Amino acid sequence: MQSLTAEDARSWIDRFTADIDDRFADLTDLDRRAGDGDYGTNLRSALRRASANLEAGPTDSPEAVFTAVANGFLNTGGTSGPLFGMWFREFAKAFAAATTAEAVATGAANAAAVVQRLGKAEVGHKTMVDAMVPAAEALSAAVGEGTDLPGALRSAATAAHEGAESTEQLLARRGRASYVGEHARGVVDPGALTVAWFFDAAVSVTAPA
Amino acid sequence: MSVRQLINDPDDFVAEALQGLQQAHPDLLRANPDPAYVVRADDDAASPKVALVSGGGSGHEPLHTGFVGRGMLDAAVPGAVFASPTAFQIRAAIGAADRGRGVLLVVKNYTGDVLNFSIAAELAREDGIEVETVLVDDDLATSSADEGGPGRRGTAAVVAVEKICGAAAERGASLSDLALLGKRVVDSARTMALALQACTHPGQSQPSFELPADEVEFGVGIHGEHGVGRRPFGPARDLVAELTRPITAELGLGDGDRVIAIVNGLGSTHALELSVAHRELTAFLGGLGVGVARSLVGPYVTALDMRGFSVTLLRAEDDFVDLWDAPVRTPALTW
Repeated sequence: MQSLTAEDARSWIDRFTADIDDRFADLTDLDRRAGDGDYGTNLRSALRRASANLEAGPTDSPEAVFTAVANGFLNTGGTSGPLFGMWFREFAKAFAAATTAEAVATGAANAAAVVQRLGKAEVGHKTMVDAMVPAAEALSAAVGEGTDLPGALRSAATAAHEGAESTEQLLARRGRASYVGEHARGVVDPGALTVAWFFDAAVSVTAPA
Repeated sequence: MSVRQLINDPDDFVAEALQGLQQAHPDLLRANPDPAYVVRADDDAASPKVALVSGGGSGHEPLHTGFVGRGMLDAAVPGAVFASPTAFQIRAAIGAADRGRGVLLVVKNYTGDVLNFSIAAELAREDGIEVETVLVDDDLATSSADEGGPGRRGTAAVVAVEKICGAAAERGASLSDLALLGKRVVDSARTMALALQACTHPGQSQPSFELPADEVEFGVGIHGEHGVGRRPFGPARDLVAELTRPITAELGLGDGDRVIAIVNGLGSTHALELSVAHRELTAFLGGLGVGVARSLVGPYVTALDMRGFSVTLLRAEDDFVDLWDAPVRTPALTW
């Protein structure tokens, strides 16, 4: 597989949505231990808006699919919702030009950058950025080595999981967990975990085991 | 003790209130249902000028929807109760308010508001609308030296920013001048608040916290959260002095200075009590040799039905007073 089709993009989002639907209670539980306990519910309602947008179409290109998802998130309040909205939006922008592994890498890099800029978070602050940045770096490294799209996405998923796990022992510097101090130590950041699951969904769609 | 509220369904609370607001003021504003925002609809609403847009969680009424009209806001964006509006809602309001000379966003310093307004500003800029932001962070109770923290909350000084910048926009000020003016107002204003009784969220049966009869919650914000400490309850003169002392110290106010004073009810404080608070404020300031140039007394930035009040002082620069006196016609503020 050299590039992402509209069907691939749709399957990727559908798989991600189904995974979150199955596991949103786990995310909410993490947020209850290190935040205010509404993360999973908010994420699921953002994805429901995204699904409604996808049903209303058009979804004839990866750009259109990711735009529908971004708009669903930007129509959600709170802080993680709009940040994910801007993250998905950069993928949509990159896919407007191409849908190759390079385009995925470009999208991921720009997406991580916009979330860092708006959320003022760095790697190590115990936020979604801790998975977004390593995933973007892994994608661009894989593309640099000439890895194909499924392989590049696999590297991104691995890096995102490592990034998410690294948040477990961190003290939060940004986001809701920063208000609860030491209470959040030992809890994986649910935003970072969401990013890892997003790349897992990509792997399961582009390179089924 | 259960709490009775004038509500049909908590889920429809904000939307129904917006309909009622429009019905009461059809000459001033129009309420757009989805995405929810309120936009000016008076006779001058199309003439060219920089547009002012503000917003935030609901539950602070009359802020901000009550300040839409001539001489203040061109649009207001209400979120759910105590929750930021979404980036798309704000973007839609910016588009509805824009008259081709740019849009000034007035944003209270809360994480969700700052983020969603920032994103809306980026989206609007991409579409060719010039946007500047004034960040209001006047609440002394949240003053902290903590590097990288969220900083001071935005509370009642937002009324002064909207009034003064609104008047300047009406006189034809440019977007960049308005952004500088707004920053000057914010830098010259500080607020402190206290609660005599917590507020109750729509549909809930219990207040957000319990207060012993002999204490007040000191340094509260406008979201029903706990303040920064408890102080003994006492006569109005003591409570007002305790609330005002840190403000005059922070602003460095002394003999010969003048202020614009806002004595703001937090939702359920009677006008009679607020008048007493204003009397005590004037006396306290008089003791320092500080004069009150202009006053605003009433419920303007509320925390649902919280019993309590805030004191905001703004250094009375000449141009601030001049713009403060300019005509205004909105549901909640008219002169």
